[in-house]
Amino acid sequence: MTARERVAAARRTLGATIGARALLWGLAAGAGLLAIVAVIDMMIGVPRALRVFAVPAAAIAALGVAGYALWRGRRVRSLPAVALWLEERVSALRYALVTALDSPLPSSYLERDIAAVHWAPVIRRTLGHALLPPLVLLAAVATLLFALPAGVRARISAPRAGDSLLRPAGGEIRNRLSPLVAEVIPPAYTGEKHVSLDEPSSVEVLAGSHLVLRGRGAATGITAALNSTPLSPALLRDSADQWRLDIVAPAKPAALELHDRNHSRTVIIAPHADSLPVVTLAAPARDTVIRTPKGALALAAAATDDYGLDAGWFEYIVSSGEGETFTFKSGVIHRVNAGGARSTTLSGALDLDSLQLKPGDLVHVRAVARDRNHITGPGIGVSETRTIRVPRPSEYDSIAVEGAPPTDVDSSQISQRMLIILTEKLQTRRAKLARADVVKESQRIGSDEARLRQHIGEIVFARLGGSQQTEDAGGNNAPAHMTPDQLLAAANAATQASAGATDFEGDETPVVAVNRPLLEAYNAMWDASRSLEVGEPGAALPPMRAALAAIQRARNAERLYLRGKAPVVIVDIAKVRLAGKRDDASSSSRLPRAALDSSAERRAERFDAAVSELASNPAAAIDSLLALRVDALESAPELAGALAPAIDALRAGHNATDALVRARRVAAGVSVARVESPRAAEWSGAW
Amino acid sequence: MTPTFTFATAQYESGDWDSAPLVPPNIIDTIARYTEIPVTPAGVIVSLASPDLLRYPLLYLTGHLPVRFTDSERRQLREFLERGGMLFVDDHNHDVDGVFHKTATEEITRTIGEPKPLPNTHPLYSAFFKFTDGPPTTSHELNGWGDNLVHKNLFAVMREGRIAVLYSSKDYSSEWGYHPDSKRFQSVDNTKFAVNIVVYALTA
Repeated sequence: MTARERVAAARRTLGATIGARALLWGLAAGAGLLAIVAVIDMMIGVPRALRVFAVPAAAIAALGVAGYALWRGRRVRSLPAVALWLEERVSALRYALVTALDSPLPSSYLERDIAAVHWAPVIRRTLGHALLPPLVLLAAVATLLFALPAGVRARISAPRAGDSLLRPAGGEIRNRLSPLVAEVIPPAYTGEKHVSLDEPSSVEVLAGSHLVLRGRGAATGITAALNSTPLSPALLRDSADQWRLDIVAPAKPAALELHDRNHSRTVIIAPHADSLPVVTLAAPARDTVIRTPKGALALAAAATDDYGLDAGWFEYIVSSGEGETFTFKSGVIHRVNAGGARSTTLSGALDLDSLQLKPGDLVHVRAVARDRNHITGPGIGVSETRTIRVPRPSEYDSIAVEGAPPTDVDSSQISQRMLIILTEKLQTRRAKLARADVVKESQRIGSDEARLRQHIGEIVFARLGGSQQTEDAGGNNAPAHMTPDQLLAAANAATQASAGATDFEGDETPVVAVNRPLLEAYNAMWDASRSLEVGEPGAALPPMRAALAAIQRARNAERLYLRGKAPVVIVDIAKVRLAGKRDDASSSSRLPRAALDSSAERRAERFDAAVSELASNPAAAIDSLLALRVDALESAPELAGALAPAIDALRAGHNATDALVRARRVAAGVSVARVESPRAAEWSGAW
Repeated sequence: MTPTFTFATAQYESGDWDSAPLVPPNIIDTIARYTEIPVTPAGVIVSLASPDLLRYPLLYLTGHLPVRFTDSERRQLREFLERGGMLFVDDHNHDVDGVFHKTATEEITRTIGEPKPLPNTHPLYSAFFKFTDGPPTTSHELNGWGDNLVHKNLFAVMREGRIAVLYSSKDYSSEWGYHPDSKRFQSVDNTKFAVNIVVYALTA
């Protein structure tokens, strides 16, 4: 082996040594940094926000130290530098090695001298000096790390939410409620991961989730209450060196209170519900009328859900009948198993032939989807309902009409037939009676005839849109002064909108055709009344019989009522209350009750009361704000959201002024767009 | 100016919302007869999807046919109820197996919550007249029509301690569906319970 070859071998050995030394120094530096952080964490606790930087910082430190060590040994790459390094440590070489490497031609003389020198011991000694210190340091640091509790190592190596309980208690546990860790376990059907929280003041959970609270020490002596209702002690149990409380999150916001001797703690549970599936019916796109219910009706829908759908289908209801008598049949078609997908489509067809639809039937169709929530559900979402109507033949006309009962009449009045009978009897007895008695009896019949005539007049004029008081208003304007044709012409002119709309008998409009018989009766009764008033019952009989015949014709007339026009009944309040004609009459006077406090006002008052208590009793004030937030979570979510940062700030001893101002504005009903407050006197956390 | 109570009937797109046109004037007559509440002589018809809903404290809804609210009807009704309005729903079919009952309760559940039996000691039954046995029975129940049951309770959805939705399977819509002038022929006025409903809606 030549001198050059021996130096090259020495350089390889030295290079490997430098690399190993750099590695050891780097490892020692990184591990040392981790050990320092772990010890500090064990003694005073390091926030997770800082602990997450421990491993990256250790890696950077290891790389830096290793790099520095390599940089310091960079001369090992040069063969002359290695030869010079050997010359310095092996005096027997007497610069023969440097000379041999510098010489362009090999010299047997120099080679012989160099071969006689052994530098292996120097290399071994150097290797030991280089590697031993970092090795010792690394061993010491590793020993320290492994001597630390496993929880402390885990907090440094893999910081995560909920690891505060891994830190050793360090002596007697004074308050088992701090640190506190909450773990939220969502229902299995959601497929969501567990979530852990350190020192929670409020926990957002999906309704039906399991909530596990853990703390240091045994469970004995710890009590819990949900909305002031004590929880069963069985829910609190020991797990290793910790206590744990397992509950199912309630459906509504609640305050969970924990007590340990003279310590207490409140955790707000703010549940949110699994949303119902959203279903959109695409076909049929709108309500429709089918004259011939044959064939199939295409159905299409889409459904989505926040956690996953279980199934979807179409529902239909067929309503048959009218008035007070209806029959129904319903069914479910085209059921689809969604298998947990977050969206799905439904399609199919409704066989109209199989429904055996009849005129007048209604078919209601909608799409339905069910989610996989088996805890608080299942949630069932439905689409808009489409109505398919099969029309009746009578609806095919351009103006759809249907029969309706006539208005009730006052049966207490004497009928025209009765008046005729009375008049005929009077006429028969007339020869035997004194003239005065005949006149008196005739006038009595005449007054009844007048009342009946007045009632018929009311019916006619009410139909024609005129005043029912026309006859009472004054004799000169009485309709008797108009002929039936004049009156009908006036009525027809007043209702020109209906003229020509229907092809009635001849040229008559419905207004004229329906009212002509009653008008004839009305005028004939006038004639009869005049004869009866002067004591001439015989002369009154012909017009009375004519009036009866006209009334009969009116009874037989066909009546038309617009469909859907329900009779409008207007209650005469004064008449019902027997108030008479005096506006100031009242059986008693009552004052209106004072307006009740609204819930918003009550919340604002509770907020003010809690804030005013902050200076004197901060703990009680925070509890009051917590209780207010629990109540507001459901009824006033905006206020609940505004209270959360205020409570957190107060608990942490931070300046809560901005958050309190914002919450106060929300409680007062002022719309708040952003967190900002004027520079008022600030309230600093004294607790 | 003294506020005046106006009786409002709910109009919804599905079903026969106008199946009991004589109930509103009959109730108005009853309110005028027994109370001093200033009342409008005629009722109004208001669409469930209309913001005008919020102008009325009490809303009457009935029908025979399936009830399917549209999204806008459901949204507007929910706002009406959340703002303190009261909805009185009466099954004109008087049949708990009927389609009105099933669909109406389903829609109510989706809109505001599930109707639960209302105790017969509830303040509703003493808001004006005293009904110590709970809701008065109707002739349709006693005659065995509909589901052939005499319903012991009404149902309600409560909100902040008061009735938001009052649901009846007793068919008051048929019981009270006559002209108010015919009330004089009744030996016992069967519409008195309507006064309790109105007074409760206005004061609770």
